[in-house]
Order: sequence, then structure tokens, then C-alpha cells
Amino acid sequence: MITFSNVSKKYSRDSAALHEINIKIPTGDFVSIVGQSGAGKSTMLKLISAEERPTNGKIVIDGWDITKIKKWQVPHLRRQIGVVFQDFKLLPKKSTYENVAFAMEVGGARTREIRESVPHILKLVNLTNKATAYPGELSGGEKQRVAIARALAYKPQILLADEPTGNLDALHSWDIVQLLIKINKLGTTVLLATHNNDIVNALKKRVLTLSQGKVVADKKSGTYKL
Amino acid sequence: MIGVSFFRVSKAALQNSWRNVWLTLATLVIMTITLLVVLLLYYANIFGLEVIKDIEQKVDLSVTFKDGISEQQVNEVAKTVSSRSDVQGVQIISSEQALEIFKQRNIDKPFIEESLKELEENPLPASMFIVAKEPKFYEAIAGFLGTDRFAEIIDEIHFEDSRLIIERLISLIETIKNAGLIISAVFAGLVVLIMFNTVRLAIYSFREEIDIMHLVGASRWFIRGPFVIESILVALISVVMANAIAWPIIKAVAPTLTTFFFEGHIQGEPFDIYVHTLDNWPNIVGLQLAVAVGLAMFSSIIALQRYLKS
Ligand SMILES: Nc1ncnc2c1ncn2[C@@H]1O[C@H](COP(=O)(O)OP(=O)(O)O)[C@@H](O)[C@H]1O
Ligand SMILES: [Mg+2]
Repeated sequence: MITFSNVSKKYSRDSAALHEINIKIPTGDFVSIVGQSGAGKSTMLKLISAEERPTNGKIVIDGWDITKIKKWQVPHLRRQIGVVFQDFKLLPKKSTYENVAFAMEVGGARTREIRESVPHILKLVNLTNKATAYPGELSGGEKQRVAIARALAYKPQILLADEPTGNLDALHSWDIVQLLIKINKLGTTVLLATHNNDIVNALKKRVLTLSQGKVVADKKSGTYKL
Repeated sequence: MIGVSFFRVSKAALQNSWRNVWLTLATLVIMTITLLVVLLLYYANIFGLEVIKDIEQKVDLSVTFKDGISEQQVNEVAKTVSSRSDVQGVQIISSEQALEIFKQRNIDKPFIEESLKELEENPLPASMFIVAKEPKFYEAIAGFLGTDRFAEIIDEIHFEDSRLIIERLISLIETIKNAGLIISAVFAGLVVLIMFNTVRLAIYSFREEIDIMHLVGASRWFIRGPFVIESILVALISVVMANAIAWPIIKAVAPTLTTFFFEGHIQGEPFDIYVHTLDNWPNIVGLQLAVAVGLAMFSSIIALQRYLKS
């Protein structure tokens, strides 16, 4: 369960990126966060991964109040949260396998554990045949699947996807969304920030609509129109 | 767990140094020079102290008595002087003994024997050597012997005052120390500057990796460790290099220095810097390690603090 209680975030004094947000996201939910550019979607995800701190209010994840989380605790939080971005953020000099293994390595996983887990994860995202390929040799959709595989390296409880389809064509976008649904079905809470209304409408899952830092709609099986 | 991480971190550190091999070499050279200057400073200090100690030991106070002074008078002076609290002891050498010693010394020179026989009387005066409890007391004792009280008895006071030499030596050592300190400070500054920039460049060339490490929740130690370990590695290699350069030099110059400075040494073995080095190597190497690792950690941690967010 992720809980936002009266959460506000101000980057500068006069304008609020988020304004008094109150939401509850139960474990295992699939939530789309929609809204125009600048509405505060990324900010919301960054607050959950503790990349940013709220200016006001309280954020609790599975009973852990992360509002005033200490620097040294952040890595622990991050290992429970997978993140993917529009720009993939892959290491260009590492292969698919190495990109995923790297994430496990830096978290201190044992070599044996890495050798066993990575093929599993690559199979889950359907990239087994691209294990030795470098990002430069992959399509956008494949790159995003590598990024998702990496995000899954720690078997996170939460997956944050910030415009993961922003750089992809419709077909690849749908591919990625299917993958997110699959991951959600395996028990991971998925938060998908997007402004792609086709996807949101097809998903028929919970939709949070943000506008100028405020939640203007929260529908069980929502739709979204620009 | 820790072992595995440590191994990976160290491996990353090595790859890191390899990527910036020229900078790493530059750091190595400057760090080695710094350590050599520090060593020079150390030896100048130790050596100076030893030379001073040696000279202090050589302080020599003796008096010769006037002609015709009786043994009793001599004994009386000896008693007065040795009763002083700053006097360790006195040794009287009668004119007969002095003559004996003189003859002994010149046994291989027959003409001296001859000329001594020509003389009716023993030409050598009785004398007395005074040993003070501490070198700094000699002046007062010499002053005491120079008072009117002994004017009729004592012919000459032989006081080789080495204080002037010692003072000059001390000021020379101070100068060397100050110069050494300034030079080592300059080089230490250079080391910090270069290391700081090495780490900065490394952070820059690893920025993508670092971003992703942050993203996936790598621990602080895992992200920063390689940079610190890399610097410490360079520091350790510098210590090895500095010693590899310094030891043969020390070994080579030690006999010359000993002969030059400690000719006529009185007590025990004369000071030898190579022997000193062998006896004190843990301290000497420890000093270098402290300087090298200290500088390495200082510069890398400052750079990390400055260029790594969170
Ligand atoms: N690091 C930042 N510094 C200052 N302002 C920011 C920063 N990040 C976002 N903002 C501002 O906060 C608002 C919300 O941004 P963001 O959360 O990125 O929106 P979205 O992801 O919905 O496009 C915008 O007005 C944006 O300009
Ligand atoms: Mg955004």
C-alpha cells in the first residue's frame, strides 16, 4: 500500500508541482497516472522513489514512512522499487545481459544468484535471444524491455514507469503495456505515468488524472481524454 | 557478501585507474616525490638531533694547574668541584701520569724521548677533567672555576664550548625543516589537486553508471568505494615506489654521513641512518602510509562530496 496524505511538492516558492495530494494505492494495483505535460506525474513517481522529498504531507509505503527518509536508507527503498523511463537509461557499452546483471551486481547480489536470475528475467521480458546484443543493436521496444528487465532485477514490490512508451510507436507501446500487465499479474504494484490516451482507455484499469498538481479525477476503470 | 562486493568494488577501481592511465601515472609520480620530500624531512630531523647529541657529548672541560701546586691543593680543588650538584665527577691527572701518557703516545718517536731526557723537570702540568651531569651545566662550572678563588691554583681552563656550533646546527636544521615543510605542503597540494581532478574525471566518465547505480539502489559504499579505493591504491603504490628509491640511497650514503659527522664518536656505536632505518622501518613506512593514504582519502572524498549528489 502506498499512501499520500496531504502531499505537496514545491520546487520553487510560488508554484507547486503537486498540491495536497491524498491517494491510496493498494498492493497489486495497476494505476495509470495521466495528465498533460507539467501536470506533476513525474514528480509523483519521484516522491515514491525518494528522488525528491515532499515539501508538505506524508508518504507511507507498506507501513514505512519515507517522508523524512535518511540518505543511507534510500538504497534500501530503491531495491523495493523498480523504475523505467522514457529514455531507457541503458549502459551503451553493456549487453542486454550485462545491463541487467549490473543492477544486481551493484546491489551486492552473489555471482551465482546473478547467473541464475538474469536468464529468468530475460525470459520474462522475452529477450532471451537478445542477451548478447548491445543497446545500439536493439529497437526502441526492445530497449525498453531491457530497462524493465533491469527494474525487475530485485523482484521489486513496486514498478514505476514514467512515460515508458513515450519514444515508441503504437505497436511497440502496446507490447510494453502488455509486459507491464504481465508483471502486475505476478503481484507487482505498477504505476504508469503516461499521456497516451489510447493505452489508458484500452487498459480499463484505475486512472488518476492530474492537472496542475492536483488530482482532478480518480476512476476505478477510467478513461482519459486530452 | 562483503567479500564479493569488496572484490567487485576493487575490480571496478582497477578498471577505473586503467581508463585514466596518464592521470594515474601523474598522480603516482607527484605522490612519490611528496613522500620522498617527507622522508628527507624526517631524516634531516633525526640526523640533526643525533649530530647535536653527539656534539653535546663531546663537550670537554678541563683545567691545568699552575707549576708548583701541591697534590694536596689539587685534591682540595677536586673535592670542591665534585661536591657541586651539577658535577658528575672529576678525574685528576698528575704531571707524572700526564708524562706517562705522553710517552706512551709517542713511543714510536725516539726523538721525543730524547728531548724529554734533556729536560730536568717534568714539563707537563697536572690537570683535571670535569664531567657535568648535563651538557648545559658546563658553562656554570667553567664560570665557577674561573673565579678569583682558584686564580692562584688554576693556570688555564680548557672549555670547548660547542654551544655556538649547536645553535648554528639547530638553526640550520630549522631552516631545512621549514623549507621541507613548505616543499611538502606544495607537493601535497599538487597531489590533492591532481587526485581531486582524477576522481572528478572518473565520476564524469562513469556518470551513466553512477546514475543507474543510484536508480537501482546501490549502496553509497558501492558507488563511492571504487573511487576511494582507486586513490588509496595509487597511494600504496607510491609508498612502495618511494621506498624503492629511498632505501638504496640511504644505504649508499649512510657510511659517508657517519664518517663525516660522527668522527671520534665517544659512546657506543656512531649513528648510522641505514641502521636507524632498519630499526625504525615500521614508523618510517607508517609515516609514509599515513601521509599517502591521508592525502588520497582527503582528495577523493572531497571530490565525491562535491560531484556526486546524494
Ligand atoms: N527539478 C525541477 N525543478 C524545478 N521545477 C520542476 C522540476 N521538476 C519538475 N518541475 C516543475 O514541476 C511541474 C511538474 O513537473 P513534472 O512532475 O515533471 O510533470 P509531468 O511529468 O506531468 O510532465 C512542472 O511545472 C515542472 O516545470
Ligand atoms: Mg514527466
